[in-house]
Amino acid sequence: MAISDLPPLDPEKGEWDEKALSRRDFLEAAVVFGTLAGAGAVAVSVPSMRFLVGKSLEPPVAQWVELGKVSDLSANDVTRVNYSVRGTDAWREVTKRGTVYVYSDDGGESFVALDGTCTHLGCIVQWHDDEQKYKCPCHAGFFTREGEVISGPPPRPLRELPVKTENGVVFAEI
Amino acid sequence: MNRTFQWIDERTGLSGPIRAFFNYPVPKYVHRNFLYTLGGLTLISFSLQVITGILLVFYYDPSTEGAYNSVDYITYILPLGWLVRGIHHYGASAMVILISLHMLRTYYYSAYKKPREINWLTGVLLLFLVLAFGFTGYLLPWDQKGYWATKVGTEIAGSVPMMGAYITKIMRGGADLGQATLTRFYATHVMLLPTAVALLIAVHIFQLRFHGMAPPITERAKAQSKKFLPFFPYWVVTDLIAGLGLLALLVYISYINRAPLEFPADPTSSNYLPRPEWYFLFFFQLLKYFPGKLEPVITIAIPLFIFGSMLLLPFIDTSEERRPWHKPVTTLVSIFYIVVILVFTYLAMAEFG
Repeated sequence: MAISDLPPLDPEKGEWDEKALSRRDFLEAAVVFGTLAGAGAVAVSVPSMRFLVGKSLEPPVAQWVELGKVSDLSANDVTRVNYSVRGTDAWREVTKRGTVYVYSDDGGESFVALDGTCTHLGCIVQWHDDEQKYKCPCHAGFFTREGEVISGPPPRPLRELPVKTENGVVFAEI
Repeated sequence: MNRTFQWIDERTGLSGPIRAFFNYPVPKYVHRNFLYTLGGLTLISFSLQVITGILLVFYYDPSTEGAYNSVDYITYILPLGWLVRGIHHYGASAMVILISLHMLRTYYYSAYKKPREINWLTGVLLLFLVLAFGFTGYLLPWDQKGYWATKVGTEIAGSVPMMGAYITKIMRGGADLGQATLTRFYATHVMLLPTAVALLIAVHIFQLRFHGMAPPITERAKAQSKKFLPFFPYWVVTDLIAGLGLLALLVYISYINRAPLEFPADPTSSNYLPRPEWYFLFFFQLLKYFPGKLEPVITIAIPLFIFGSMLLLPFIDTSEERRPWHKPVTTLVSIFYIVVILVFTYLAMAEFG
């Protein structure tokens, strides 16, 4: 539709510009504009998304934490260790804390460390010595001493952590 | 006074729209009917959240080391801090209750039907955003309750097939809950969600004004449907009275029962039972019945189904019938959901004591 086909304006206000580009021509120009605007939106939103994701997806920096002296860890029973270690949390220097369960299969020669975080929804499991199993208080997930799932909702065994012994001190990598 | 008013009007052109807004004809069957104040009350409760939220930001410290102490300070030391945080804390629950009742009213009156589909859709999105408000706000005190509920909540998002692990990490800002999580939740809670909710409310109200009230469903209301009252002062005053009642109730509850603050977040505690805010409890309880591989059924499939069917409702139920007693399917479906929510909320509460 040409501009001149529009209902006339109030003469006091003025009149439509007869020489203006027809709407069709202008809309064709608008396609170019739309493409540019779309490109602009992508140019802004992609870096914005990258900015928002930030360093979320980077694997956490592994750290060795001290679990205790060999002599302090039980050779037969499961020992609960609440560790705390200095570390970086985003831009902040903090004391990171967590729970690890340690046991030995060979009378204290070597140790196995399990992350105490339930594989279901992340609660900390409790070791029940009398029943010889870990129980998650949140949704009643049960694990064997070795961390295998006995029953309940957990999808995976408890995470086993790398362990090393140096100068009679046991460390686990978290 | 008149000249001042005229001066402003000549420069803003606002008097016409404002007059039209205030003179908007409201059907008589709506006036002084509690069921029709629920939307306005939800808006008032949102306003209360915005006001108390702005006040809280003046003292809140969004850092893992300072958050807990700042909330403790607000609650126990700051003059009237207990009141501002109390209204914000209990007001959040009030908002969830009011928006749910408002939605049920809309549902039973079939007010989602043509041509009001967009109003229903914005309403469903608003409900979702209000729940997101609750979820993000819960973490901010950085106490045991918020920390563990968020740990579990973000872990639930991780059960999405294929990309769950990414979603959890992006929500947390890293592998574990920490400073990045708190800042993210804070930014979402005080910047993103309020902006989104305010924009959606504007669309929601514009739609309401454009279409007017949905047709009445009772014979009594139909008899009054040709009589109108101006929006101001009739409707406004009714809503304000209800709003002041709500505020008085929130002040009273805040006074007799300080907004709770548990012990500071402790990532090593294994005897702490995480539990979400009461309106998520039924969902939390349902998780127990779907172990292992079935879990995404409850964490993803059912919420998607419920939310999806809410969005699709006006396009599925396209009949002319508006009376719930003549629409057994929609009525029974809603009763089924209400019973499920009540039963599992009760079971969860019985378990937590």
